Amino acid sequence: MPTINMKKVFLLGHQTERPEILSLLQKMGSMEMLDLKSGPNWEDLSDTLIPDHPEQKVNTLEAQLGEIRYCLDLFHRYFPMRKSFVQQFTGGKIELTDTLYGEYTGNLDKIKELYRQCRQSEEEFVKIRNEETQCQNSIEELLPWESLDLPLEEVGEGSYLTVGLYQVPEDRFSAMISELDKLNCYYSEISTNGDLKHIVFAGLIKDKELYIEIFKEASAVSFSYPISPGTAADNIQNLQQKVTRLAEKRQHLISQIEALVESRMFLMTVYDHLQNEYDKHLAVTNLARTDNSFIMEGWVPEPALEDLENNLSSQTKTAVLVAREPKPGEMPPVLLENSRAVEPYEVVTKLYSTPKKNELDPTPYLAPFFFIFFGICLSDAGYGLVLASLAFLLIRKLKLEGMGKQLMNLLLMGGISAIIFGLLLGSAFGDLLKLKPLWFNPLEDPMRMLVYCFAIGLFHIYFGMFLQAYRNIKSGQLLNALFDQGFWFIFLNGLVLLILPQTALLGKWLAISGALGLILTQGRSQQGLFKRFFSGLLSLYNVTGYLSDVLSYSRLLALGLATGVIASAINSMAGMLPGGLIWSILMAIGLVGGHFFNVIISSLGSYVHTSRLQYIEFFGKFFEGGGRQYKPFQLKSSYISVVKTDDV
Amino acid sequence: MTGSELALFKISGLEIALLGAALAVGLAGIGSAIGVGIVGQSAAGLVTEDPDKFGQTLLLQALPGTQGIYGLLTGFLIMQRVGIIGAVPLELTIAEGYAFLMASLPIAIVGLVSGIYQGRVSASAVGLVAKRPEELGKGIVYAVMVETYAVLALLASVMLLFGIPV
Repeated sequence: MPTINMKKVFLLGHQTERPEILSLLQKMGSMEMLDLKSGPNWEDLSDTLIPDHPEQKVNTLEAQLGEIRYCLDLFHRYFPMRKSFVQQFTGGKIELTDTLYGEYTGNLDKIKELYRQCRQSEEEFVKIRNEETQCQNSIEELLPWESLDLPLEEVGEGSYLTVGLYQVPEDRFSAMISELDKLNCYYSEISTNGDLKHIVFAGLIKDKELYIEIFKEASAVSFSYPISPGTAADNIQNLQQKVTRLAEKRQHLISQIEALVESRMFLMTVYDHLQNEYDKHLAVTNLARTDNSFIMEGWVPEPALEDLENNLSSQTKTAVLVAREPKPGEMPPVLLENSRAVEPYEVVTKLYSTPKKNELDPTPYLAPFFFIFFGICLSDAGYGLVLASLAFLLIRKLKLEGMGKQLMNLLLMGGISAIIFGLLLGSAFGDLLKLKPLWFNPLEDPMRMLVYCFAIGLFHIYFGMFLQAYRNIKSGQLLNALFDQGFWFIFLNGLVLLILPQTALLGKWLAISGALGLILTQGRSQQGLFKRFFSGLLSLYNVTGYLSDVLSYSRLLALGLATGVIASAINSMAGMLPGGLIWSILMAIGLVGGHFFNVIISSLGSYVHTSRLQYIEFFGKFFEGGGRQYKPFQLKSSYISVVKTDDV
Repeated sequence: MTGSELALFKISGLEIALLGAALAVGLAGIGSAIGVGIVGQSAAGLVTEDPDKFGQTLLLQALPGTQGIYGLLTGFLIMQRVGIIGAVPLELTIAEGYAFLMASLPIAIVGLVSGIYQGRVSASAVGLVAKRPEELGKGIVYAVMVETYAVLALLASVMLLFGIPV
């Protein structure tokens, strides 16, 4: 299925009607704007047209958005809105009725006041926090001196005495006191903290120099506290009271912020609203103008074009839309379109790359393979049921959009596929429910399953080659299709047939003719006969690539076995527990928890390995990617999704 | 050690088989533990900046965890085959015991090394997610390229186990 056709459009209008026209375009959301000035035609146009600039309003809007973001960030820091684990992957927005939306967006003046309050609260909050830390630090410093009953203001020098507090490393202490004892002085040990001894010291002022020398020798550090009356214990008590007071104040502030948080919904709504306004004003930078008219350039998907034209002609007076097919050399953006059943698999394609313009969208082709591979990897009816119901519930409960919804639908389909293969291969929660396989049990005959995995893998690879051949034929390169895909197809089939004795003879001749064809044609881009022959011969070496591609599908079996065997391990561990009520409860918990863990880990494994088979083995055969996704100028929302009042 | 003491130290096939089970669980488990640890370290760094990335980074952290599970699975299969779980333990000859030990080696060795390397790739993918959260899928694919070899080793181990005629 090709991608949707894009039309290049030019829109002309009168300057006075510009805001209305832009609003309409944004609401319709079907046009991707291009910057006219960076386009290839600008040089021809620049004589008559001048680039347009957004109005002053943009700066106001930007400032307002900044203020709202500040408030929301503040709220988030103190009262975070928890996103659920699932929402972290999938997104999910708050619903709001359109009447409330109108009410909120009509009340833009409130932003300034809210911002002022938030700002003030936060500044005060920071101030209190700083004070608190200061107090805590002081308390920490004073604690070692707590038992000293000397008021701190008496530390210092008087006319006869010098009094000091010192911190001495413990290993120097004994040496120091033996020195001090020789002099006429007093000292007393207050406390030991870590490897520091805290002492109070009093001596005669006339011997000051001697003391200082001794202290220096012992690397003792003098402790001084900014003069405040009372003992250390008094000071600590004061500080602690202050800390309590500050904490109360902080609590009070937090409750103030909490009161502000009520307007979070309002702020989110006006944020979305203003963001769209901002986008609209900024879009003007893409335009060019004369004195009284303007022109813009863009891409519109063909199916949406008529609607856009109709709306423009009915709702505006001056707008004129001109559309044409893209010229060669222009790179239109790409929009994928798939039927509802296939649409979830777009996620797989998009995670790899958007297809190029006119390139095949691989989504519908990979979809059935993805469905089957996921089922074989998980291959458990019970797990499939759990996964499908989980995905179904999440789709219903969270209003998902875009990729999130597609991913959940993908898992829902995967679950269904796992149910099918679980029934076929006889597994439901491992061997918990003794299912009789409708087909056969791969645990009993893994070789048989392995062969089937290779077979389906070979088919997958052939299908990729077929798509490339189709691409070649469609672009008129019939010979390329025959040489690059056809001969390989013959050669590979010959090799496969060689395995069975009944078909070995046919296989031999097929392989030989295929190989001959490859040798003769694969060097065709080279110059010179010898070089051509040689690189043709060398190309046969690529058979190892095909071989490893096919072997890679053995992961289908391995992951299927892993799911089944881990499930059985959980079952038999639970089965080893003795009887009795408590043990039965424990067994039930173990079973539920163990199987749930296995569902998650096995689904993850199935998803990633199935994706890999598409990306490496399948896409490698035909898909290039590297297209640009279509990004229309439209209304966006970060927080809110608006619903009609009647729907609630 | 005298001869009579050596006779006491007689090892049977069962013990050798159990050594295989222990190696599969142990070595592959070490690989996963290191791998998951590496990813956890860089993920925690990212989540301090942006707590909403927890879900995405947890997914990346889970990726190198599978080697440990494959090892456990192999170990479990050995235990089941030799009758440690459920039935009566089998009387294995030394040769049969070695057969089980050999069967455990692919996942034990590859699990150890690939777990570590997958952890490194996933840790880099955490950096990728930090800057471009929408590219998580590509990060996962890089990590899965490493895991391929653990899956192949698991397949070899399991096929060997199924093939041992006991």
